[in-house]
Amino acid sequence: MAMTKRERGLCELYAEDPERADHLVFGRRAGADRRGFLKGAGLAALGAVVGAALPFHRNYPAGLIPAALAETTEDFKIQGKSGLTLLNDRPLNAETPAHLLDDDVTPVERHFIRNNGIPPENTGAEDWTLKVDGEVSTPLELSIEDLQSRFEVVSLKLQLECGGNGRASFNPPAKGNQWTVGAIANSEWTGVRYADVLKAAGVKDSAVYTGHIGADTHLSGDPEKLPISRGVPLAKAMDPHNLIAFQMNGGPIHPMNGAPLRVVVPGWPGSCSQKWLRRIWVRDQVHDGPKMTGTSYRVPSYPVAPGEKVDKKDFVIIESMPVKSLITFPETGVELSGGAQSLEIRGHAWAGDRAVRQVQVSHDFGATWTEAELSPVPNPYAWQRWRAQIELPQAGYYEVWARATDDQGAMQPFAIAWNPKGYLNNSLHRIALRVTA
Amino acid sequence: MRASLHGFALVLLLALGGGTWAAATETVGQADDADEWDGLPGGPGREEVYGMCSACHSLMIVKQQGLSRDDWAEMMDWMVEEQGMPELDEETLTLIIDYLAEHYGVDRRGAGQP
Repeated sequence: MAMTKRERGLCELYAEDPERADHLVFGRRAGADRRGFLKGAGLAALGAVVGAALPFHRNYPAGLIPAALAETTEDFKIQGKSGLTLLNDRPLNAETPAHLLDDDVTPVERHFIRNNGIPPENTGAEDWTLKVDGEVSTPLELSIEDLQSRFEVVSLKLQLECGGNGRASFNPPAKGNQWTVGAIANSEWTGVRYADVLKAAGVKDSAVYTGHIGADTHLSGDPEKLPISRGVPLAKAMDPHNLIAFQMNGGPIHPMNGAPLRVVVPGWPGSCSQKWLRRIWVRDQVHDGPKMTGTSYRVPSYPVAPGEKVDKKDFVIIESMPVKSLITFPETGVELSGGAQSLEIRGHAWAGDRAVRQVQVSHDFGATWTEAELSPVPNPYAWQRWRAQIELPQAGYYEVWARATDDQGAMQPFAIAWNPKGYLNNSLHRIALRVTA
Repeated sequence: MRASLHGFALVLLLALGGGTWAAATETVGQADDADEWDGLPGGPGREEVYGMCSACHSLMIVKQQGLSRDDWAEMMDWMVEEQGMPELDEETLTLIIDYLAEHYGVDRRGAGQP
């Protein structure tokens, strides 16, 4: 059988000194009977990588290569996804190249994936329940059927964008997945209004924030730890465009996009939209779950120089995402023959909580700009289609740039407003074109 | 799916005993370049980084980064304080931070726009 790269590396580590390798990989020491005793973080880590608890961990021999670590990313395929660029395979993070985001409604197979932990194995809708508790007068426990029968079911096209989309262009580089431009999608989500469910539970005057808890588990395997638990202020929570969704594009939600139940809070960092939703905890303080605190999904409260150190206390939670646009046709790097020509450029624009007022394109490095035709928004929080016709006067190398302006006059910048964690990069999108004679 | 079955087969193979273990390791060859370590370049600390980091997450996330030594040190603290990594002895920790700062330092530019 053919050995993969990953297996070879691990093999060497284990071949050289299996007990040391065990210590390095799982922090375990072989027992007197030459069997490993996995405990604490090591056991949890092994459980995490094999995706289950290990009932017979005492029998697990020292120096044995864990199968789950011997997997490879070559030929990595995510079932039900197509054309995505894999950034990380554990946890799974994958983005969509811009030219594959050309559809008005993002197909399920093109929706990016941003996982923080290990997704639940059982994502069946039948026995799934959602709990709503905390600062409410009537705590609820609802099945998906209950949600469908008790509340109005609505479908909305909603943009979801990772807060770190565009991080790859930061200099100095910022920590985290190096998303380029494709951690954005605009699928049609069907579900019930998040606000309707909160109202049914009766939000108390003491409520200030929501906290979401999903069914995914922490990478370390520690069952006490949540990989991520974020939420939104009560005012945002009550926006009628937030959904507790059970369908994506009229069909099942993709398992990596949160099946069978997830929050969709459009316009804010995607992390506000908890996947595999199990519980909404209404809080009497700003929610303090993992990745709500510290510097996660936060930016300095004032402009900083690239590379500047910023005190943790000066970071504020990101709310609305900024105005942005993407060129989805043609694909960057395309070569066109035939000299001078007229070419349609198109894409989408969106603006967090706001709407897009204008999109302009340039094919002369920003010296002149042409206004694109901008389609009206199908519903609030959907992205908007734009199209422009450009005239390429002769053979040569061109860049097409697109920049959107929102309904309050904020325009996409050319330069990145650098921040330590690499969030909110809404600098204008550029593609390359080469025209030959 | 194929990959994990593949790995499982390897474990079964190795579980058969020491003789099989030796045979299996012989087939992997002696070359010591980055390809053999999931892309990690050679140098002091490579084994420790490989073992400690890939216990919980893929090395793909490590290899995407370009951070200063201080930021790598902070990252290791965060892994222990918030992400459930066992605390490392000073020597191992220094080895790991040195390796990461040398091979995944700030001179690694991002790969975003054309």
